[in-house]
Amino acid sequence: MSAPVLALDRVTKRFSGHTAVAGLSLSVPRGVIYGLLGPNGAGKTTTIRMIMDVIEPDEGSVRLFGERGTGRDHSARIGYLPEERGLYRRMRVLDLVVFLAEMKGVERRRARARAADWLERLGLGAWRMRRVDELSKGMQQKVQFISTVLHEPELVVLDEPFAGLDPVNTQVMKDAVVELRRDGVTILFSTHIMEQAEKLCDQLCIIARGRKLVDGALADIKRTQTGHHLVIGFDGAPGAAVQLFADKRVVQKVDDYGQYAELELAPDADPQRLLAALVRSGARLARFELSEPSLNKIFIDLVGPDAATPEARPQPGGPRA
Amino acid sequence: MRKVWAVIRREFVERVRSKWFWISALLGPVFFGGMIVVPVLFAGAGGTRRIAVVDGTTGAFGARVVAELRHGKIFRATRVPAGAGVVDSVTQLVGAKQLDGFLIVTDAVVETGTAEYRASNVSSFRDVAELQDVLARLAVAARLERQGVDPTLVGRAQLRISLETKKISGSKTTGESAAQSFALAYVMGVVLFLVITIYGVNVMSSVVEEKTTRIVEVLVSSLRPFQLMIGKVLGVGAVSLFQFVLWGLGAKLLLSQRRALLAGLGGVDEARQVFQMPHLSAATLGVFLSYFLGGFFLYSAMYAAVGAMSSNEQEARQAQQPVMFLLLIAYVSMFGLTNNPESTYAVTLSLIPFTAPIAMPVRWAASTVPVDELAGSLGLLLTGIVAVTWVAARIYRVGILMTGKRPNIKELVRWVRAG
Repeated sequence: MSAPVLALDRVTKRFSGHTAVAGLSLSVPRGVIYGLLGPNGAGKTTTIRMIMDVIEPDEGSVRLFGERGTGRDHSARIGYLPEERGLYRRMRVLDLVVFLAEMKGVERRRARARAADWLERLGLGAWRMRRVDELSKGMQQKVQFISTVLHEPELVVLDEPFAGLDPVNTQVMKDAVVELRRDGVTILFSTHIMEQAEKLCDQLCIIARGRKLVDGALADIKRTQTGHHLVIGFDGAPGAAVQLFADKRVVQKVDDYGQYAELELAPDADPQRLLAALVRSGARLARFELSEPSLNKIFIDLVGPDAATPEARPQPGGPRA
Repeated sequence: MRKVWAVIRREFVERVRSKWFWISALLGPVFFGGMIVVPVLFAGAGGTRRIAVVDGTTGAFGARVVAELRHGKIFRATRVPAGAGVVDSVTQLVGAKQLDGFLIVTDAVVETGTAEYRASNVSSFRDVAELQDVLARLAVAARLERQGVDPTLVGRAQLRISLETKKISGSKTTGESAAQSFALAYVMGVVLFLVITIYGVNVMSSVVEEKTTRIVEVLVSSLRPFQLMIGKVLGVGAVSLFQFVLWGLGAKLLLSQRRALLAGLGGVDEARQVFQMPHLSAATLGVFLSYFLGGFFLYSAMYAAVGAMSSNEQEARQAQQPVMFLLLIAYVSMFGLTNNPESTYAVTLSLIPFTAPIAMPVRWAASTVPVDELAGSLGLLLTGIVAVTWVAARIYRVGILMTGKRPNIKELVRWVRAG
């Protein structure tokens, strides 16, 4: 098992009177798509900025590729797409992409060749001598993506990559992320859109108010975080079966409709035994369906309804959490 | 270092590519040439003045004044004997614009040396100087004659002096006239002020642009904020030097064609004299460029910090006023500096790093500055640059990632400490 591409060890960042990130530890293995999930103001962007060495943590450490050195030292191996994506509006597209690649340490001539390739590939070949502000928003997003991956990074960090994208471009971005992973690139991205995360992430970390609530592989989280969700439909009267639902050791929560019931099983309850008990009770079953809870549900259960408000407002002039 | 180089190149190429750069490259020499020629043309070309000489003298003094004034080129004088209501009626003539003014002469001119000139325009130095000159000469002659001196002797004794001025630089006479010295000092001061301000503001806008588009986040994740700031300052500085080279070439072209150009303008003598090629020695050029570079680095570091603490262009424009004010101190003192380059005030200004970039070159052009003073001033400027860049870099580092309200002084101090 190789060293994780990224490891955060009890990282803390405070801004005047407000803790943006508190003792956050996480580990991103090589080659996965890793989701950093949390409501607005949870500290996602602050965490990413610390990874990128844009700001320094007050406590704790960030370790990249299992080696010494900060995000800036390793910048040639990392692609970064910040949340508020900006470009030099008056520069020519090609010049801009080449310049940003040079910032990542790519030699100028090679940067030019690769930039031309990429622009061609994403259908911007004809636009390369045009000024950035002549491009449509979708085209600008493509330019931003090109500048994130042009230097062939091993780790790509995307802060809210799907924010503000229309459905077509969301699809383009999703395909690009999947393709990167296929090429062996590790991807860390933050989002508060759970549907995207659920489809894309191999591993994830949910944070709120700067603290980690849970992390690990998506499947494990689904298994451990909430009991199994069970839907039962009866053919005829349930009869004695209803009494089984009252057993708190097996059923945590029940939503009984008479002919139909939604159950949430206790964490260590075995659905197979419940099925056997139901059959023994003599009830006729029309439906017995185990369903996984959606990530969205896990998220809301964990985060709670009021977590979207940070503990204290950052002072005016402080950076966004 | 390659990254810093890329930042420098981007700043340079993007700016030199813009049409504004070439417009100012073309218009610069024309503008500065005009700035010298136009005031001289205005001062020289006043036209003739129609005046009345209200003669209250008992002898022939009034008549002599009229004759002498007619002799000169400026005044068309008519004698009006003094009497009741005369002053009122000539005042009315001035009001009706039939006269430009009138001179009241009485015996007091010879006795106590006082006379009165009333006119619609009394701010023309040329007019007043001519009147004073004529009255003084005639008064002296009248007094001497009263003492029995032969009038022809008086006439011979009153030799007009034509003073030729030549500046001594080091221990060599340069052949540079007072007017040329002044013009050189003046132009150097104005050019320094304008270029430091313009390119300083350029650095500021560039910082603000990166900040508002948030591209700065991508940049500082790849290179240190200090490298970014230095790259920016050097890149914009290179543009300004390139601008100077173009202006220099343009000025050379204009000067070589100056005869033709001045003939077109009416060929006024004074203008021609001032517009001769000023003596621009290698030392002067060296001083000029050193102080330009020093001033540019000092101020652009400050402008970078101002850009970093503002979140948009308008805010930055407001926040830059204190910086601009520092540079203005030297600029508005320029006439004082040229008239009295050795005063304590002038020496002090040329030693303080914030004012030295303008004050020292102006003093240098207007007089001869001792070498140890020059060395001291340059040393202080260098120290100032290091100190200011150090503070500015710390403000810059924190500021470029901040959004929201502009920091107050207390917060700024905290930023500098946190660096």
